[in-house]
Amino acid sequence: MTLASDTAMLPKPASSVIRVGADGKPFIEAFRCGACGAVVTEQTLACRACGARQAPEAYRSPEMGALWTWSVVHRSYPGIEVPFVSAIVDLDGGLTLKGTVIGAEPGQLHQGLRLRLVFDDAGGARNKEGAPYVGFHFVPEGDA
Amino acid sequence: MSDVYIVGADMIAFGRYPDRTPGQLAAEAALMALDDAGLAIRDIGALYASSSFNAASMIGQQVLKQIGQTGIPCVNVSNACASGATAVREAWVAIKAGIYDAVLAVGVEKNPRGMLGGPPTEGPSPEGLFGSASMPAVFAEAGMVHAEKYGTTIEQFAQVAVKNHHHATMNPKAVYRKETPLDEVLGSEMIAYPLTKLMCSANVDGAAGVVLVSEKKAKELGLSRAVRIRASALTSDPYEPRNPVMFDANSVTSIAAKQAYEMAGLGPEDLDLVELHDCFATAEILHYENLGLCTEGEGGSLIDSGATTLGGRIPVNVSGGLLSKGHPIGATGVANMVEIVEHLRGEAGARQVEGAKIGLAHVLGFGAATGVHILEKA
Repeated sequence: MTLASDTAMLPKPASSVIRVGADGKPFIEAFRCGACGAVVTEQTLACRACGARQAPEAYRSPEMGALWTWSVVHRSYPGIEVPFVSAIVDLDGGLTLKGTVIGAEPGQLHQGLRLRLVFDDAGGARNKEGAPYVGFHFVPEGDA
Repeated sequence: MSDVYIVGADMIAFGRYPDRTPGQLAAEAALMALDDAGLAIRDIGALYASSSFNAASMIGQQVLKQIGQTGIPCVNVSNACASGATAVREAWVAIKAGIYDAVLAVGVEKNPRGMLGGPPTEGPSPEGLFGSASMPAVFAEAGMVHAEKYGTTIEQFAQVAVKNHHHATMNPKAVYRKETPLDEVLGSEMIAYPLTKLMCSANVDGAAGVVLVSEKKAKELGLSRAVRIRASALTSDPYEPRNPVMFDANSVTSIAAKQAYEMAGLGPEDLDLVELHDCFATAEILHYENLGLCTEGEGGSLIDSGATTLGGRIPVNVSGGLLSKGHPIGATGVANMVEIVEHLRGEAGARQVEGAKIGLAHVLGFGAATGVHILEKA
């Protein structure tokens, strides 16, 4: 992906699951319980599935996954552009994320549809210091 | 342990009250419930007051400042849309423990305007960038899982709104009292597919109150209009692989239902009516199955059969439900029980479920919490 041209400033994650490497490249971090294998989006104090007192271990999530459910959103909060497809996506490896699907017709959407996570510039937003943000969305597998 | 009875139950008409405070609305409902019980605030041992958005403002103490500062323990409860059921359950627990003979539970809300949901965040708003956190989208996505798995149609979801709006025409305290035929429901503004505007709950103000007493006190007062609490269950959401990225409305409800049926020694086949949490039309179909009113996957067929309409096998949301009676968050769980009580007393007027002996009240709070209460005519 292409981030903003100002490489001096590393992009800020627009979602808590996004990490930005020292090279400026973003990736998705997930956490897996060493005792029961449950996968979660955050580093909890103990496993929320089995209660094991060992913190879940971080791993770099694959960026391919399958559509679990979705809704075409026609009315959102004031100022939010509609319509868009809100989706729940099960990534390979066990992490589930909510995200927007771009580039798919509503009629094309079905449970199990293979999707790819693509990083983006989070709508071009900048923080107070002028640093860009990095976000993500999903596209059908095979799309750019 | 002593059984617990509801001897007073009432609610204000749901609607918009721009000139009144939540404390004033709750105080009115509290007095109505006390009058219904034939009791005064000096007879009450404790107050549990629920409000999802106003509990932190000492809403219960505001009530006491309106109706009598007797110095009793006052607990303010916030548990999302399950706040009201949580207040009633805590009142039930306190009487079960033998600490009080009479406890007041009151729920109130002046809802924020507009669409609910979506946490404040740093950085760009996640809405639209990362799907939608709005409540309609969340319950649309839950409905689409059912649609994909069982072939449930938008028409079946829409029929829930047709039914509940029909029921509300017989409830003078409902905010919307107008028939909405299927084509009108389907043709209203699409909010988040498959939910149109008429398939989303009515965002209004309201308050409701109940008076709970011990068995000893109930017998003193006379049992002619008393209602016995056969079961009180409250759950938080158990671990499910997609939760909380995807809200899980189902397991938190089905576990509470199972606990309540076990506590009561009853099953869904014993119920005469149900008030369940139809925050969105999709949710009602899911909860038919979560509460065991039909088998898994049969929710769409159940609405089609007419079984859940007044006059059917198991009428659901004869009050009009959250869709048309209205959904003042912290009052909803108490109001659902007020509705059941009116039917068990035979005082529900045009929408009376004939011969009703046992009813179930259910609410679901986002985040999540479920309250299930089973009530029986004493």
